[in-house]
Amino acid sequence: MGRFTLLYRLMLRPLLQRPGRALLILFAIALGDAAVVAIDMAGDAAAGSFRSSMESFTGNNDLEITAAGGVPETIAAQLARLPLDLRLSPRIEDHATIVATGETVPLIGIDLVGEANGEAAQRLDQAGLRDPIQHINDPDAVWVAGALGKAVGEKIDLLINDQTRDYTVRGLVPDTAKLGGDAILMDIRAAQQATGKSGRVDRILIKTPRSGSFDDWQRQIRRALPAGIMLSPQGSATAANRRMLAAFRWNLRVLSYIALLVGAFLIYNAISVSVVRRRADIGAVRALGASRNMVLSAFLLESSLFGLIGSLAALPLGRLLASGAVGMLSTTVNALYVSSTAGALRITTGSVLLALIAGMGVTLASALAPAREASQVPPTEAMARGRREYEVRIERHRDALIALILAVLGAVAAQAPEIAGKPLMGYLAAMLFVGASALLTPLVVHAVTFAGAGLMRRLMGVEALLACRSLGGSLRRTSVLVGALATAIAMMTSVGIMVGSFRQTVLTWMDAQLSGDLYLRPAGALNADQHPTIAPRVAERIASVPGVESVARFRAYEIEYQGLPATLAGVDIDLHRREQSLSFLSGRPPVDVLRELAAGDNALVSEPFANKHHVKAGDTITLPLGETRPTFRILDIFYDYGHEAGYILLARQTMLKYLPNPAPTNLAVFLKPGADLESTRAAVQKAVAGSDLLILSNAVLRREGIRVFDQTFAITYALEAISILVAIGGIAGALLSIVMDRRREFGILRFLGGTGSQIRKLTLVEAGLIGLLANATGLALGFVLSLVLIYVINKQSFGWTIQFHWPVTVLLSSLSLVYVATVLAGIAPARIAVRLNPIEVVHEE
Amino acid sequence: MEHVTRDYAAEGERVRALNDVSLSVGSGRFVALVGRSGCGKSTLLHLAGAMDFPTAGHVRLEGLATDALSEPELTRLRREKVGFVFQSFQLLNTLSVVENVEVPLLLAGRRNPRPAAMERLASVGLAELAHRMTHQLSGGQMQRVAIARALVHGPRLLLADEPTGNLDTATGNAILHLLRQIREEQKLTILMATHSAEAAAIADVVIHMRDGQMVQD
Repeated sequence: MGRFTLLYRLMLRPLLQRPGRALLILFAIALGDAAVVAIDMAGDAAAGSFRSSMESFTGNNDLEITAAGGVPETIAAQLARLPLDLRLSPRIEDHATIVATGETVPLIGIDLVGEANGEAAQRLDQAGLRDPIQHINDPDAVWVAGALGKAVGEKIDLLINDQTRDYTVRGLVPDTAKLGGDAILMDIRAAQQATGKSGRVDRILIKTPRSGSFDDWQRQIRRALPAGIMLSPQGSATAANRRMLAAFRWNLRVLSYIALLVGAFLIYNAISVSVVRRRADIGAVRALGASRNMVLSAFLLESSLFGLIGSLAALPLGRLLASGAVGMLSTTVNALYVSSTAGALRITTGSVLLALIAGMGVTLASALAPAREASQVPPTEAMARGRREYEVRIERHRDALIALILAVLGAVAAQAPEIAGKPLMGYLAAMLFVGASALLTPLVVHAVTFAGAGLMRRLMGVEALLACRSLGGSLRRTSVLVGALATAIAMMTSVGIMVGSFRQTVLTWMDAQLSGDLYLRPAGALNADQHPTIAPRVAERIASVPGVESVARFRAYEIEYQGLPATLAGVDIDLHRREQSLSFLSGRPPVDVLRELAAGDNALVSEPFANKHHVKAGDTITLPLGETRPTFRILDIFYDYGHEAGYILLARQTMLKYLPNPAPTNLAVFLKPGADLESTRAAVQKAVAGSDLLILSNAVLRREGIRVFDQTFAITYALEAISILVAIGGIAGALLSIVMDRRREFGILRFLGGTGSQIRKLTLVEAGLIGLLANATGLALGFVLSLVLIYVINKQSFGWTIQFHWPVTVLLSSLSLVYVATVLAGIAPARIAVRLNPIEVVHEE
Repeated sequence: MEHVTRDYAAEGERVRALNDVSLSVGSGRFVALVGRSGCGKSTLLHLAGAMDFPTAGHVRLEGLATDALSEPELTRLRREKVGFVFQSFQLLNTLSVVENVEVPLLLAGRRNPRPAAMERLASVGLAELAHRMTHQLSGGQMQRVAIARALVHGPRLLLADEPTGNLDTATGNAILHLLRQIREEQKLTILMATHSAEAAAIADVVIHMRDGQMVQD
């Protein structure tokens, strides 16, 4: 009990007496930790708890049958004839756009007749589909979720593929049916007709009898299926998508830890200052009988308390930040990966544990070194008071040598391959470079503040000289502050360079990729995994429009390859076209590669696909297409930045051999030389009347691409902003503590004739110097980290080749903004410094 | 000083540090204020140096009433006419010896303060230590630097608050002799607070203080 009393009196009570300092430490912990909690929570809502919207109204089944291009419905009939007592639920799974709102929702077609028998009838009844059979011959009948706000009998305009049609709401599905909130249900026949999938279904769900083992059932069913048809446990697509999203979430999570890392620097600084300030007290307590362990424990307990309160504060703050982040994450997931609806944000036991482990872990780790230092204070320190200020020694040359070793290790780690699909060595390299920079900072600070002091005095007067000397004199504190801000700036710079480089690469790629003059696709918002089709006759009609030279048809299917989603596409090859849209890693001329592609069972794969599945030119891949499993030779790998899951590209004729559906998903129109774009576009518009298509010019499509790109990276900017905010907040707090620690010096300056404005200038020059040093160090570190991000982490996570590019304007403006913010952070401490009473502060000492 | 009273508020209570003190110090005089801790010596020095203002009464420095001056005028007054020496030296640890001496000149906007600072250091016998850091000096040397700093801008009044309080007897005596020598050479006025009668003996005039009042001339 006595020890706790001492702990309260010596550690906690001083904190309560100066709540401002304690609040700033808590702010750094809470905001850094909140960023981690927010990203975890928002990631979980947007992607982590990902459940494919196609899992709506599936019920409890064991297996599913799928096939690229759809499963022939005869398969269901064949399986029904087997003496296996299976319950089969064939389904159409597509998307429809509600014309009135522009919202794209899942469209599910189920066999209402089949489902009305047996145990499924109960589910239908629970779902509110009473007596649905009376509408099975009505191709316009739909059942919608209550969330859509429609009444029974009301009309609803739906755009399915390229056709808009009036449908009638025949029933409302209650939320208990887990329809997915906003999905639309149809009878399977009507759905097949509406989606142009006559004779095929997208999935057959299978419920096996309870008797016998699952593997036995799987073996027996597989025997009855053609080679290209895939049999897997129900929800495999969801699992595959989850696996695909894992890398995205992983990288995002790592980015969120940066704010915590910046917070760690500031916690380290705060505890260090606290130790330095209390050395005499520690010495006295040691002289009175406190052991080293007691001192160590006291400081660690104090840090734990900060960690605990900061972590608990991080939960509501994280929840607040998550509500802003979840929208951004959903947009990215939909644009880049797969259609999904963000779930609800919840503070779960997991998020509480994460907040506590991350917050307290980082706080304790940051406090360990200063706490150990406190425990080393000899009892004689108590007698040293007033003789000379204690100065923390920094072995800057030794630290610089360690920095060099860390940098070399970082460079080595950056060369290592990924581990279990994750760029772990890339992260290690980044951490080693951050460590190297932190250890090199004292040498840089010392060199600049001492070597530059004379010049600074000539340029900015005595205040600059005093500021330089003061910063150089408290090297550890200055180094930690510069290190914290530099780390945040480095992250901002590196992500800025990476995103800027990526943007420039995508722009260059789009220049080459978008060689057509007009592009057509079904109207309605599209996610990465949606491929609505265009009626085959449309391409022919467009080709006959005067001014049109040729039309290239593109057809895409979502398939699964090695347990991961991928896009299979077939494209018209025209070797006589002026510009070919693909460019290859091999550097081969596109015409040569495309000529070979047209020649037989050959394929091209995109760079992300090649990296994800470790394939290269010359390898073969076997794809389940329709009912067969043909093998294709990979001719080359092409650059692609459109789809993270990756593309497999076939010649259209080759694809039609296996998937005979001729409807394309996109059309590229090439105009004759000299043809007028606007008048030809109007003629094309007229030619496609009756089909609801978007006709986009090359320029518009390019703009749209960049808009989606910028939207995708909005979350990274938000995370960077949090890191910078943590750093600036920390700097403000640290400057304040510098002012409090140096009040004697300010007092003496007033005695020696210094004015209030000179004291203010001195404090602001210090803030400016910290900002300048941090900007310079952060820019250098950021450049190195951007190389790791571009050439190691991005490459190993997503497989994209990004050309390095300096986004000068973005960097200059953001660095200037941070610099100004740092100087502004000095205003409040400067005001306090000016208001200090010189007599009091000199007398105190 | 005319009927000067100075009150402070401490923990809600009013504490009288100086009580109706009147004192006139002629130019070139060396005056010692002697008394126990808390008797009002330092308060009197702060008032004399225009660092603080009386609750009642007036302080005039070369005829100028400090309470009638604006903040910039007070700063100018301190810069031009007053020098301070403290018991605990109050050097700036991050600056070298000569840089410490240069500070008042730099604050006043002097462009090239080095020759004046070196000259002043030479006058206190520390020219050869000019480029050392302050923590490399002994206590006596530190106080010499502090004296050089207090005199570098040529003040008319030197205020010394327990200048020997942190020094051993021999070093303290050397500092007192240095102050006396400076007074004689430069004809400046020195007001020194001390609790030591021996130290006070070097002054022309000794004023004893008790409970905020002068008790004996």
